[in-house]
Amino acid sequence: MLQLSGVSAGYQGKDVLFDISASFEPGVNYCLLGPNGCGKTTLLRAIARLIDYRGSISWNGTDLKKMSRREIAGHIAVMCQNSGSSFSYSVYDAVMLGRYARMKRTLFSGPGEKDREAVRNCLERTNLWELRKRPIDQLSGGQRQRVFLAQALAQDPDVILLDEPANHLDMRHQIDLVDSLHAWTADGSHSVIGVFHDIDLALRFSENMLFLKDGKLLAQGPFAQAANRQFLQNVFEMDVVGYMQASRRKWDEVS
Amino acid sequence: MKICLCILACLLCLVLGAGIGSLTISPREIFQILTGRLEGVKASILMSIRIPRVLMAFLVGAALSASGTVMQSVLRNPLASSYTLGVSSGASLLAAVTMLTGFSLLGAFTLPCMGFAGGLFTVFLAMGVTARLDSSMENQTIILCGMVLSLFVNAILTVLTALSGKYLDQLIFWQMGSFSAQTYVNCAIMGIILLAGTVVLASRGTEMDLMTFGEEQAQAAGVDLKKEKLLLIALSALLTGAAVSFAGVVGFVDLIAPHVTRRIFGARHRLIVPMSAFIGGGFMVVADLAARTLLSPRELPVGAVTALIGAPFFAWIYFHKRGGDA
Repeated sequence: MLQLSGVSAGYQGKDVLFDISASFEPGVNYCLLGPNGCGKTTLLRAIARLIDYRGSISWNGTDLKKMSRREIAGHIAVMCQNSGSSFSYSVYDAVMLGRYARMKRTLFSGPGEKDREAVRNCLERTNLWELRKRPIDQLSGGQRQRVFLAQALAQDPDVILLDEPANHLDMRHQIDLVDSLHAWTADGSHSVIGVFHDIDLALRFSENMLFLKDGKLLAQGPFAQAANRQFLQNVFEMDVVGYMQASRRKWDEVS
Repeated sequence: MKICLCILACLLCLVLGAGIGSLTISPREIFQILTGRLEGVKASILMSIRIPRVLMAFLVGAALSASGTVMQSVLRNPLASSYTLGVSSGASLLAAVTMLTGFSLLGAFTLPCMGFAGGLFTVFLAMGVTARLDSSMENQTIILCGMVLSLFVNAILTVLTALSGKYLDQLIFWQMGSFSAQTYVNCAIMGIILLAGTVVLASRGTEMDLMTFGEEQAQAAGVDLKKEKLLLIALSALLTGAAVSFAGVVGFVDLIAPHVTRRIFGARHRLIVPMSAFIGGGFMVVADLAARTLLSPRELPVGAVTALIGAPFFAWIYFHKRGGDA
């Protein structure tokens, strides 16, 4: 279980995240929602220990600050967002890099049988086995996203952190990604914490929401309990429910 | 397969480099001399002039290329090299000071050690300034600081050269790069540094692979970024520093060889660090061969030859990359 208590963090001495406390259970997926600049991404970066924070973040009772990079990576993976490497790796090699924290550590240790098996498994789950020899810079956006997913899965973490994973994918690929993540967490021991902009996609991903605004955690819990019309109006500074209902009426007219 | 071909091509370069010159020695004769079955003028030219020279050219080219490969990956910039970070300028300044003052505390190791110290000092100065300016240590800022610092250090070197009187010719020629007058001791020192450096660098291959995906991504995958970055940059500075102190400033090899190597061997650092050393070494031997034979008996500075090939290549990479992205 991932536990945050009183976490504050920021950049250049200026806090953008204030006193966040929350806990994340295995087997459950979470959506972080909120307007631009509310601190969602900063929270993810603090959880991955990529930036400094005050307060405590612990994994099953052990403080992350007392763990090595490698140990943290054994529990928490961050799914790669941008276009990837500046050089051209094959799909297979890129996914194998995800095994870094799991590989044995000697001067010239290469991937072992176990690593190769894990990579094959991840490639098959993400439908990439046929593409394994292709250079990743020649893939389409959706395929590349699958490579990054496979890379994160190959790390074999307990938690995957996602920052707007779908923001440059078309609808079908967005849904594919959400479905693959569901399949991964279905066994009850894994969980995903994702930042989403699209509330509809977030709802499809998980009912468990954390709403952030101005660096503070406003509410958390199942969507229907945590949010009502007035609350969403406050968070997003617009009538979200009205907007969604207006869309819905247009969809109802489509035969 | 590709690896064998590449190493064979390097051997061929070495044999050609040793054989061609004002006096041509055939590969058969080289073989006979090396096995002690032929003596005379050719033998003494080969053993005391050609071989140390060719060997040093190979070692220096190899060291520069291996270090260039690492710099490109660590800084995530295909145009980065030891030059952009000021390693070579720092190394040449301290090496020049060593030559001028005749300072020799560590015997044969003085020059490479001073070169290393100068190179490392400039890198860390560049990184220190960067840390001040930009706490997130953006690679673009590091490169910019390195460039500015490198120009500044070069200016000091120019002033020093202008004031150096009787050493003027020696310093100028050295700044243009040359492999003449090498000894086996120099070769041995360079060889040891190259071998040790390349082995350790290649052993950090997976870390470098991950770094090319972005620094945060590498950390999230479990890389101790600060430690690894420091180790990699220090080792590249060592390789470049040593190379510069033995052969002067020879540009562009550290840019060309890594790109050619990546094109042939892909992206995995465990393979491309050693292979770029071979390709860079081979290229340097050929460049040196061209430098001393093209306008024979006059000798061109080898740095000019590599730059003549390298500058257009640099432009080609730059525009090719941009074309590819668009």
